[in-house]
Amino acid sequence: MNDQAPAIFVALEASDFAAALRQSLFLYPLANVGHVVALVCFAGAVAVMDLRLVGAFAATAPAKVITRARRIVIAAFCGLAVTGFMLFSAEASHVVLNPVFLLKMALVATGLVNVAIYELGARHAVEALPAGAAMPRRARIAGFVSLGLWLVVAACGRSIAYF
Amino acid sequence: MAKRLTILAALAILVGPAVAHHGWGSYDAARPVTVAGPILTSKFENPHTTITVRASDKVWTVTLAPTSRMVSRGALAAMVAVGNNISAYGYPSTVEKDEMRAERITVNGKTYEMR
Repeated sequence: MNDQAPAIFVALEASDFAAALRQSLFLYPLANVGHVVALVCFAGAVAVMDLRLVGAFAATAPAKVITRARRIVIAAFCGLAVTGFMLFSAEASHVVLNPVFLLKMALVATGLVNVAIYELGARHAVEALPAGAAMPRRARIAGFVSLGLWLVVAACGRSIAYF
Repeated sequence: MAKRLTILAALAILVGPAVAHHGWGSYDAARPVTVAGPILTSKFENPHTTITVRASDKVWTVTLAPTSRMVSRGALAAMVAVGNNISAYGYPSTVEKDEMRAERITVNGKTYEMR
């Protein structure tokens, strides 16, 4: 327990939920494995979506590719959030002060802002496009930003243990 | 946004050394130590089992393996219980004072690999 952490994270780590995660033989490894599996699903679906946005798979209409990939992205993100919260809770007072964890959370927030900007400002136009049409500039930017951000987020995630 | 991120990252790096501890990277494999003595406290928990040991020089915090690995190697909670005598060979932390990570432990004449 790190008492320098904000009280809410000290309380989270001291909770029965966090204690159960630490003391169970299988819960923590399950969350760990689940986090990686959810990440693989997330990364795959995000890559399909983002590559379509930057102009790949142009023979298929954007709406067809993006709508299907989005469902997997959302489901996988929920899986990442749940398993990530479990891993975080077990050591909350330490992890919340970890520099790479803080960077990762800032990048996740930036990624979600990028999603919001795309969904509000470009989605409607993009999903109306026929196959083969050139992608609007703002969609290509959103795709590139997304690809880059989520790769760095993944690298940060694995790096938390080493800082 | 970029400026704010830079500030956050800089701030984060400043508080970093106070909390860092995981992975084998933050342990000095060039200076192995053997810590032997009675176990004072024992937490058989994930992500790593942690005990404190009263050695001849000082009280060490000894980081062991995740609980499922402890069990699969035969190093059950009862073997690292408070009061048992233990000998732990491992590497001192380059970050946390008086902490070491055990490569292997010996309890009651039996050796268990932790890596």
